Amino acid sequence: MTNIIDPIAEIDEARVGDQDVVIGKSRIIFRRFMRNRTAVAGLFIFLALFLFSIFGGFLTSWDKDTLDPLNIGMPPSPDHLLGTTQAGIDLMALIVDGTRTSILIGLIVGGVSVLISAVYGCTMAFFGGKVDATMLFILEALIMMPAILVVAVATSGSGGLKDLPSWLLLVVVLLFFSWMGTARLVRSLSMSLMQRDYVKAAKYMGVPSRRIVWRHLVPNIGSLLVLDFTRGITGAILAEVAFSFIGIGIKLPDVSLGVLIGQATGQVSSFPWMFWVPLTVMFLLTGSLAMMNDGLRDAFDPSSSSIGRAKTKTAKAAK
Amino acid sequence: MLKYLMKRSGIYLIMIFLTTSAGYFLAVSSLKPAVLEQEKIPRPTPEQVAASFRGLGLDPELNPWERYVQWLGGIVTRWDWGRSPNGAFVNAEFADRVMVSTRLFIASIILTLVIGVALGVYSAARQYKVQDRVITSYSYLVHILPAPIAYFLVQLGAIGINEAVGQRIFFVTGISTPGIEPGWPAFVDLVAHYAVPTFAMTIFGWAGYQIAQRQYLLDNVNADFVRTARAKGLTRNQAIRKHALRVSFIPVAQSIAFTIPAIFTGGFFAEAIFAWPGIGLWSIQAISLQDVNVATATLAYGSVIFAIGAILADFATTLVDPRVRVQ
Amino acid sequence: MSTNTSQTPAERLRDAGLYAPGDAVLSVRDLNVRFNSENGVVHAVRGVDFDLMPGKTLGIVGESGSGKSVTSMAVMGLLPETADITGSVRFKGKELLGLSDKAMCKHRGSDIAMVFQDPLSSLTPVYTVGHQIIEALTVHNPTMSKQAKEARAVDLLRMVGIPSPKDRLKAFPHEFSGGMRQRVMIAIAIANDPRVLIADEPTTALDVTIQAQVLEVLHTAQEETGAAVVMITHDLGVVAGMADDIMVMYAGKPVETGTVEDIYYNPRMPYTLGLLGAVPRVDTSGKQSLVPIEGTPPNLALPVTGCSFAARCPMVSDACLHGEPELFPVPGVEGQTLGHKAACIKADQLSGDADAHKIFQAPPKPVSKFDGVARAERAKVLELKDVKKHFPLLKGALIKRRIGTVKAVDGLSFDIREGECVSIVGESGCGKTTTLLEIMEFHPDQVGEVVIGGVSNKVATDHKTKMAMRKEMQMVFQDPTGALDPRFTVYEVLAEPLENLGMPKAAIKKRIMELMKLVGLQPDHVNRFPNQFSGGQRQRIGIARALAVNPKLVVLDEPVSALDVSVQAGVINLLDKLRAELGLSYLMVAHDLSVVRHISDRVAVMYLGKIVETGDVDDVFDHPRHPYTRALLSAIPVPDPALERTRERIILQGDLPSPLDAPKGCNFATRCPVFAALPAAKQEKCLTLEPPLASEKEGTQDFACFFPDGEIDSDMLVVHA
Repeated sequence: MTNIIDPIAEIDEARVGDQDVVIGKSRIIFRRFMRNRTAVAGLFIFLALFLFSIFGGFLTSWDKDTLDPLNIGMPPSPDHLLGTTQAGIDLMALIVDGTRTSILIGLIVGGVSVLISAVYGCTMAFFGGKVDATMLFILEALIMMPAILVVAVATSGSGGLKDLPSWLLLVVVLLFFSWMGTARLVRSLSMSLMQRDYVKAAKYMGVPSRRIVWRHLVPNIGSLLVLDFTRGITGAILAEVAFSFIGIGIKLPDVSLGVLIGQATGQVSSFPWMFWVPLTVMFLLTGSLAMMNDGLRDAFDPSSSSIGRAKTKTAKAAK
Repeated sequence: MLKYLMKRSGIYLIMIFLTTSAGYFLAVSSLKPAVLEQEKIPRPTPEQVAASFRGLGLDPELNPWERYVQWLGGIVTRWDWGRSPNGAFVNAEFADRVMVSTRLFIASIILTLVIGVALGVYSAARQYKVQDRVITSYSYLVHILPAPIAYFLVQLGAIGINEAVGQRIFFVTGISTPGIEPGWPAFVDLVAHYAVPTFAMTIFGWAGYQIAQRQYLLDNVNADFVRTARAKGLTRNQAIRKHALRVSFIPVAQSIAFTIPAIFTGGFFAEAIFAWPGIGLWSIQAISLQDVNVATATLAYGSVIFAIGAILADFATTLVDPRVRVQ
Repeated sequence: MSTNTSQTPAERLRDAGLYAPGDAVLSVRDLNVRFNSENGVVHAVRGVDFDLMPGKTLGIVGESGSGKSVTSMAVMGLLPETADITGSVRFKGKELLGLSDKAMCKHRGSDIAMVFQDPLSSLTPVYTVGHQIIEALTVHNPTMSKQAKEARAVDLLRMVGIPSPKDRLKAFPHEFSGGMRQRVMIAIAIANDPRVLIADEPTTALDVTIQAQVLEVLHTAQEETGAAVVMITHDLGVVAGMADDIMVMYAGKPVETGTVEDIYYNPRMPYTLGLLGAVPRVDTSGKQSLVPIEGTPPNLALPVTGCSFAARCPMVSDACLHGEPELFPVPGVEGQTLGHKAACIKADQLSGDADAHKIFQAPPKPVSKFDGVARAERAKVLELKDVKKHFPLLKGALIKRRIGTVKAVDGLSFDIREGECVSIVGESGCGKTTTLLEIMEFHPDQVGEVVIGGVSNKVATDHKTKMAMRKEMQMVFQDPTGALDPRFTVYEVLAEPLENLGMPKAAIKKRIMELMKLVGLQPDHVNRFPNQFSGGQRQRIGIARALAVNPKLVVLDEPVSALDVSVQAGVINLLDKLRAELGLSYLMVAHDLSVVRHISDRVAVMYLGKIVETGDVDDVFDHPRHPYTRALLSAIPVPDPALERTRERIILQGDLPSPLDAPKGCNFATRCPVFAALPAAKQEKCLTLEPPLASEKEGTQDFACFFPDGEIDSDMLVVHA
């Protein structure tokens, strides 16, 4: 849609020939991302948590399977930096473990669901016609199914899935319900890409379809997929916490942030640290991802608000 | 128009049938009520269990397909959604549960929609000003807070208020106090029970609408037709209010379809946290009791809710968008 | 601002913004607009001055980025708040700049109204047309009764030529075609009898026939309201017949102003001269190549040191690079008005008979080795035999019923010989693009036959034959930006077709260097991305890609329509040169008949899926026989004010009808200006029999009409006296 700011676009267009002001696309994206301080902060927090979940075990001499009979239900102390549970387990050890599980679930679900949606969406767009209609129908039927019930059935049932560790089971079920929205987006985006003249040009040159998909379609939906990856991680971590919180997600002996938060709800007043510490970690985790996602979106989207803000700022500075 | 809605309904009916069937197969193959029976004292023999289940139409020895046919036959011929392992009829309890859920959600659904859209418009009109930043940041914050934890925090807050006042003002769980006398006391009791869950669901529910409405309105603020309206002599604000706003409702109306099941899913958590015995809580209880028929019935209900939402969205779209109306 | 001593004190005062001639409705003084962008502050408009007299028309001509639209938006007060606007805009002496949005609203729509470029997006989709017209009335006449407003709305719709206006009030914008919507936009703009009407490229998005209709409506609107009009356009033809005065803008600054005669017959700024020479003309055959203006406009984010046109100017000297020239009055020559000013220190060297071709060193018209060979003796590179493309029109969701057939292409036969350029012209929706697709897609189950280089698409079933056919024929697309993958460097873009042929790496590299030189690009730019090139350069890359595999035939889909006028000429000259040097054949689809006339040897006019007239381009353009061709040609404005003001034009009524189950007889009868003038007895023939495509005399064009050269219905004939 053309709009009032059109003159600027017009000028940008006209100026393009001037070589010294033109910069590569990836550099623009990187520059925009790095300029967004929130996004950079998010990246650092996430990396810190990631390292904590791997090497955090060294911060405490206790592990999550060892009881400390001398410190049962103790608030944070030099001995136990984050305190202990009412069973006498070091909370730090539990949190390190829980964070790792949550991040793992997030990464796997985020990553694999992006893959599924990319393949499914591209397939729909590429074949079109009957294939597209059928696959779209399946997709919508899946969207209709209340995910939570299926999660509950799968994790509480006594069928064959029961043999899997509960976190893996949750991963499988979350995966099953996480890719439909993106698949639909990928489909519509690829469909519009297929109409682009450069795809037509390749087709009219006789370039085989496989090559066209690989060389022209996939790289161009890349930004959507990157964004969806971070969004998928956040979504999966949140879903894990929510499900585990009401007792249908991860089950002991597996530990996750959701399990820790859920377990502590009964004794918020007596053992507050047991509730607030894992909750804070979860917040940092999802918050840092959201901050990054925001920055990535602005960086990828040429018409995003980050330019708008820069505009107002410089305008004021100019006066 | 009517024909179009009929057609859509037809397609959704097929989808409901398919999702429900798929749900049944999933439930029947993973839920094994017989396992729970083994924990009873005295422990019944497997034969006794099988015999009692056979009487309930839950014969564990039949394969899933046979059970599916039996179950479907019951629904088609007698509108009988089967029985629980304890012998209760699904149909008998269903209506009560739906009533409880509907009572719990209806107020917050409406409030969420109205407040969310209003705040979206308000924040879009004040883009990048303090009000917009506060409102929109809040909405993004809600996005990174899982619903049950959010509800739990509200519950904690309500308990805190009760304790601070030294008197029970809010009930944080349950529907009503048993044995309350009708009239004014019953009404006060009702409000005291409603307040906390409705508040919780509303303040954590509007975020999605707010962000969407804000975005769609901002997308349209600089549209060509707004410029035309301004060129006519409308002020910028008038042009946005009269032209951009109406157009920005179109995608919001469409998105309702996809938020209704989300409210329903959030409803599970609300019912679980606030202990309202609605459909959501029932389904989770049923699953932990390995109850195939109830689990499937609640799943079917979820699909129906979705379909209703989608049809409502179509309807709303045709109301606000004349381009669709002609077809 | 100006220290020029030749100005009178009054003129200097006026230029300083202190005093404007009392009779001007709109006076703009030293208007400057700055935007902030990713790359710094862009100085989009740099000192625009003009006075608009009541009832007069000012044409502002410029290419994209010249600041012409920004100027109009600044006058309307419609620029974003972040824009920094200085100077003065006075309506009847009252300063408008600096007014609040609310105060400005009293003037917008009542004193100054505007018509925008894109009619499709400029009307609110959710309100009826009537609502939107009445809204314009309500804003400025709150006391007007409902009946009165409705009656006025009906009047307005009738004035802009919308049939059955009363019923159409209740219609929504999407029920109108683009041309109809632009009429509604004009109705809204003139609703309150504005004194100033600004039209920003009002016809750019429309077909030529519709453009002629809309220009006619604008003309009527101006006559009815007596408003002064600011007509903003890139098309020198559109304003030639309408404008009294012209302001040519370049890089945000007016570079030449004067009466329309001054500008068209006596340009004194090299840019204007080049621009006039860069436009092909529909009324003369293309025996001369066009005037190319090399280079691109300057970056307005950087400070301007010398003349902004210096980098592209063939007459540039050192003096041009020091200090930007002001608009000086052109020394009085006979037949010239006092208001003629040019921002060029060499304005006096360009007298009225300056030859743009010589100054800009336009290349000679290239001659192909095939030019001397008779057409019949050249080999056919492409032949279409009765090609048809019918789309079933389906209804129903689950069970689809066929309710009709859209005959997008209905029995097309023509051939292209070696070394010639054949163009297909017609309004959008006539089937010309579908024809290209039919040729390019190689559907084996296609109705009819496409023969490429002697191989029919019916026999080309295996991959190898298809590849061989593809190699013979390549395509250049309309939008040069969309046709190049933004993630590919130029090298990768050009390598794609070569790799596909399995050419070795070293050979590919060599070939790419050749190609870059061939299309006039610097070979060391191969590692750049498409977004680092201007539109014209991107189109050259597209052409290079098409030529990579040495095809015999290049299919050109609107190859220059997305380009600016000055850039267009360079690309057209390149296409001409390549055809001659490489012995190429072209199949071109274009809506711009001037470009078609310039490049083509033969032309086919399409209407509703059929060819209605075809033959040598000079035959068809100089002596059109079919009434549709006559109307189409008469709709093209010519950049010659005297001619444009006096010539007769045929204004077709209505839009292109849907090609749904075309009628039994001649399918043009519904809009035909000749048919309308025929006695009923003769009309019968048009309605029952389909006219065959045939020539009257050996060696002239084929046409499909029973009454060629017939008398035109007087209702459809317009002459501005």
